Amino acid sequence: MSTQTAGDLAVDPKDQVVCLVGMPNSGKTTLMNALTGGNFKTANYAGVTVSVLRGRTRPEFGTPRNVVDLPGVHSSVEPSPEEELAVAVIEGRHSKVQPDAFILVVDATQLERHLKFGGLVGRRGKPTVVALTMVDLLDRTGQSLSVLKLANALGIPVVPVDPRTGAGVKEVLAALDGLKGMLWVGNALAEMPPEPVAGYKYVTELLRRSGAVSRTARPDSLTSRIDRFVLHRYFGFPVFFLVLISLFAAIFWLAQPFMDVIDAGFAAAAAGTKAIAPESVIMQFLGDGVIAGVGAVAVFFPQIMILFFLMTLLEDSGYLARGAALVDRPLSFLGLHGRSFVPMLSGYACAIPAVFAARAIPARRERMLTIWILPLMSCSARLPVYALLLAALLPAAAWQAGLGLAAIYVASLLIASIIAGITARIFMKHGKPSLLAMELPAYRIPRWWPILRMTWARGSSYLQRAGIPILIVSAVLWMVSNFGHVPGRFISPTPMEDSFASTLGQKMEPVLRPMGVDWRVGVGLISAFAAREVFVSSMAIVFHADSSDEQTQQEHLLKEMSSAVFPDTGARIFTPASILGLVVFFFFSLQCFSTVAVVKKEMGSWKLAGLQLLFYTGLGYLLAVLSVQTLRAFGVA
Amino acid sequence: MRSRFTSGIVTVVKVENDSRFHLEGHLKGHLQIVEPTARTLTSIPLNKEVRIGRLDGPKQDCARLLDLGFTPGEPIVVTQHVPLGDPLIVRLRGALLALRKREADWILVE
Repeated sequence: MSTQTAGDLAVDPKDQVVCLVGMPNSGKTTLMNALTGGNFKTANYAGVTVSVLRGRTRPEFGTPRNVVDLPGVHSSVEPSPEEELAVAVIEGRHSKVQPDAFILVVDATQLERHLKFGGLVGRRGKPTVVALTMVDLLDRTGQSLSVLKLANALGIPVVPVDPRTGAGVKEVLAALDGLKGMLWVGNALAEMPPEPVAGYKYVTELLRRSGAVSRTARPDSLTSRIDRFVLHRYFGFPVFFLVLISLFAAIFWLAQPFMDVIDAGFAAAAAGTKAIAPESVIMQFLGDGVIAGVGAVAVFFPQIMILFFLMTLLEDSGYLARGAALVDRPLSFLGLHGRSFVPMLSGYACAIPAVFAARAIPARRERMLTIWILPLMSCSARLPVYALLLAALLPAAAWQAGLGLAAIYVASLLIASIIAGITARIFMKHGKPSLLAMELPAYRIPRWWPILRMTWARGSSYLQRAGIPILIVSAVLWMVSNFGHVPGRFISPTPMEDSFASTLGQKMEPVLRPMGVDWRVGVGLISAFAAREVFVSSMAIVFHADSSDEQTQQEHLLKEMSSAVFPDTGARIFTPASILGLVVFFFFSLQCFSTVAVVKKEMGSWKLAGLQLLFYTGLGYLLAVLSVQTLRAFGVA
Repeated sequence: MRSRFTSGIVTVVKVENDSRFHLEGHLKGHLQIVEPTARTLTSIPLNKEVRIGRLDGPKQDCARLLDLGFTPGEPIVVTQHVPLGDPLIVRLRGALLALRKREADWILVE
């Protein structure tokens, strides 16, 4: 796996920069994989929230080259931000990426559309090689293709490749070598009229005259058979829900052993660090603040990797686009887009990869609205919190708590839909709805290696972008919870009861009382901004339920919680009403500074991120107070 | 829509998008509705190959559809309606594309 840093992959100015260009689903990224041996990383350019992949060609392919995989372009008319970046590079308008040559990736089963796009590349007048993909699918559509005739007609080298097996990949680079030093004179693509109708006519005529394609295409029989079932009037949704349920099951159950290992590893590392110098505040900070803090978020990494893996699998097999088509109608009614379902689904694991997944939504307005509702998706960091609160609320039977949890999950989808619908109708009604016109790629049996590579690339890119904010947030929150103001010294290490967090918690007491809780729960709520599940460990600290044994910690804490009282009135803190109030608060509140930081980075301003933080946390507080007070008014303690 | 009086006079009534129109009561009995000449992609039965006539919708959206390959004269087939009826799946130039009904309504076919 690639562990290289940005420096290693920096463009060597001596070597050629080759850009991979093509339409989405052309197999571009798989070719990138094969060209670089998976040795690529995502790179971001200032001002756009679009990342491109860049890497170096494998040494055994001869002349070293820098390869850049540009986002796929459906059309340069009304482009999405991703398409705009690719078009800018192709047309030579991009300041950072200046290609010396192009590899135009063309789907052999869709020559007209893909070559029409090639006109944009041809007009640039740079050395170009056509990499012909999906040649194996020609059988399914009953066509046969003469590569030689096609190359002759185009005046450009054409190399059939199967990047999934690596066949032809070396030859693509050899063809680029062959163009070296040649005067790159006109080719058939360069002469294509830019106007679409004339452009298509030109391509059709070119293909007809070349005689490269024998027989007209018939529909891909395998794809239509699968689609008849997968998009069937009655089976379509059951299949879709089955896929979703399997995805959920995999994310939660497959990830569990890995999460336990990571949890134990970070706990051991934190304990080890503190043991080096037990008296040192710096070691305490490194152990509990940095290592344990990062560990609290890192436990979700297995879930996120499994999510990325399964999403890549669904995408590569061709099903993801069908899923998006299935749910486009209800989602577009809410002002969202069919593709919004991927980030929404990811949001049930973690909001951060979900924010990145929203990039697949072409229109900015729909992308913003999708990101806007993501904090409501019941992410897995809420799971330990709900587990604790539901166990305290419904101690009688585990199945009741399980039912409660299922209700929370369903409610989060319903309420997110309502909020999206209201926001779209009231605050975003001026934007024009985007075009769907989404391609459904042919079904293919996925290949493991490219998928694992892609999963790793996505996972490491996630770590790069989310890691730093998570580190900063957990370090700051540790300091707030472990330093306090003591007489004589402005800042000093203190137990949590005397820390800034508890001072803040006590100042917040008047705000917390209407929720039916005291400052100690307030400390838990503040610390939960590092990651929601930190609430559980903070509660254990403030209610003195520390236990060395993991198994008994929750029982211990539940016992302490059930006997906790308000010091002034002697009334119990954790009553059905106040616990329900906390559930409501966690349901709505955006208690995750990492999400706020990532949304800010993604949207390029604090506007949406700040609004989300204020709106959801405020809404959570108001509704928590409202439910506690209503319940009490009706006699529920 | 074209209406033909029994007298043999042919009147062509153009129906703009969604706007309804009403006929005077005494005319109703004399009307014979014949097949509309300009049909959109939404009204085409499944798996029937038709040719794209022209695009009639928001300018920029139609420009993009045109660039995606929805050009006049091109054969197009509606292969499926998804379970909720929208979007519909079309086959064009060897590609399968999901089109919202709203978008398919801009595509007039022959």
